[in-house]
Amino acid sequence: MKFGKRWIPAHLLVWSYAVLLLVPLYYFLASAFKSNEEIFAHPFALPDSFGLGNFSTAFSSADLGLAVVNSALVTSVALVLTLALALPAAFALARSTGRLASAVEKVFSLGFLIPTFAALFPTFLLAAATGLFHTRTFMVLFLPATAMPLSVVILIQFMRTVPREMEEAARMDGASTYAVLRHVYAPMCLPGIATVLLLNFLTFWNEYLYSLVIIGPDPAQRTVQVALPTLKAITGTDYGVLTAGTVLTLVPVWIVYTVLQRRMQQALVSGAVKM
Amino acid sequence: MTTLTPTPGAAEPGLTGAPPRTAGRRPRPRPRKQGGTILAVPALVWYLVFMVGPMVAIFVIAALRWPGMLQPVSFAGLGNLRAVLDDPVFWAAVRNTAVQLAVALPLMIVCAYMVGYYVAQRPPGHRVIRYLLFVPGLISTPAKAMVFYAALSPDGLLNGALESAGLSSLTDAWLASPSTALACLIALDVWAGIGFTAVLFAARLGSVPDELGEAAQLDGAGHWRTMWRVHFPVIRDYVGVVTMLQFLWTLFGSAQHVLLLTQGGPGSSSTTLSFLVYQKAFIAADLGYSQTVGVILFLAGLAGLLTIRRLFRQNY
Repeated sequence: MKFGKRWIPAHLLVWSYAVLLLVPLYYFLASAFKSNEEIFAHPFALPDSFGLGNFSTAFSSADLGLAVVNSALVTSVALVLTLALALPAAFALARSTGRLASAVEKVFSLGFLIPTFAALFPTFLLAAATGLFHTRTFMVLFLPATAMPLSVVILIQFMRTVPREMEEAARMDGASTYAVLRHVYAPMCLPGIATVLLLNFLTFWNEYLYSLVIIGPDPAQRTVQVALPTLKAITGTDYGVLTAGTVLTLVPVWIVYTVLQRRMQQALVSGAVKM
Repeated sequence: MTTLTPTPGAAEPGLTGAPPRTAGRRPRPRPRKQGGTILAVPALVWYLVFMVGPMVAIFVIAALRWPGMLQPVSFAGLGNLRAVLDDPVFWAAVRNTAVQLAVALPLMIVCAYMVGYYVAQRPPGHRVIRYLLFVPGLISTPAKAMVFYAALSPDGLLNGALESAGLSSLTDAWLASPSTALACLIALDVWAGIGFTAVLFAARLGSVPDELGEAAQLDGAGHWRTMWRVHFPVIRDYVGVVTMLQFLWTLFGSAQHVLLLTQGGPGSSSTTLSFLVYQKAFIAADLGYSQTVGVILFLAGLAGLLTIRRLFRQNY
């Protein structure tokens, strides 16, 4: 037996860590349906009823509905822009043999060393200078830049696997450079594109500090990650509402993760190690 | 695989791309050599404007006296550096950051390596574990902060558990007590860090040939020795890369946790360097000071990266 008695401590330790990961999730999910009294009296009991009162309070008191829309808007437009920038760039760099191209590629791969967070204040100045301070627009423009190194490097690796002959054949049929990208490279790099989209979906949806500083507190503009912590101030210590709000922000990520679990895990692993 | 070692792919295009071109049998309408490189320009410009530009600006602002957004700006030279070095709060932040890194980083990496090894052996239930290990990688910083707020606030989960266990003398306002505030932040780092890092290790250990472990077992090595003496050396440089990542995330990312959970307090007991950058810029409006700390933080990050790389250099 491969996993004999000597593995018992290992099983115990790993599973207790797994429980540490699971308990907060369960607690949040259960508390979202309870009142404060129930939460304090029986923190781990199943809720008596599945009323959505806490959710609607969270929705109305922190304008969460609007914030979800804003987040969805920022995330999706930024994703489109990321692909629009990274696909042609990776296409060009993967096919090119020039010294310039390899220098540009090096610039992107060094980009992992620049921690996004470091330049918060200068970015804030940039937002002010371009007149886009306190708007979602700046975040839509800014987020793709943070994603550029990772996206370009991942896509380049996928594009290098496309056989040269495919392009030759398309060229022979009179395909333009754009058509080669659109009809030869893009379809063959779909797994790479999916990886890039998933990774960036996570980072864009979860982005907090820049959104807080640049979009600011205006309920018409702010994203859900900025709106969520304000619940603490608005509702005081109404844990039911607090947890309901948190659960709401997790739902989109949770759905995507559960549906695309394998691909998402691959994406996260490959993405992190490239950094 | 890594960013610090030159990417192996950089040498490839010359190999894969050259033959078809020299073998060109028919005349081409235009030289395709640099035909597409221009397509990389928008991405590059975007990146330079939004990422590299602000990065460079840190160094410029660090040399300015700038006492608030709407105040007049003047050149300060090294004046900011002097102010920073004379400030006890800065040194408290240095100490807190050093403690945070010294405790969180080794704990996270060692535990994650062991969990990763465990999962890579595919024990019963490893799929469930794998699914759960990803959880901290999925949830946002504010959501993680909410988890810890719910657990550690005065009437939160931990105090509730202590009271029902009859240990009410041990209860504390964990996040608001000078002796435990920093520990709470470290706990958050470790809690969230182990899971995702373990998945990274498990993925890499999964590609180590099984024969390696089996050979070691035949030679009578237990799992403990196989784990540290056989597998660890094989993925040593990978462990180095992951450590560098966690180092950067912890060093620069702690501002968000501090902001959401303790606001650096009580006093300066949980102020970290990266929170100090934020606090001086957006709360105290001392912009030159803030960006000087930013420069110091950047240099610390660089020094840390080089040190970690040296520590984990492949030595066989």
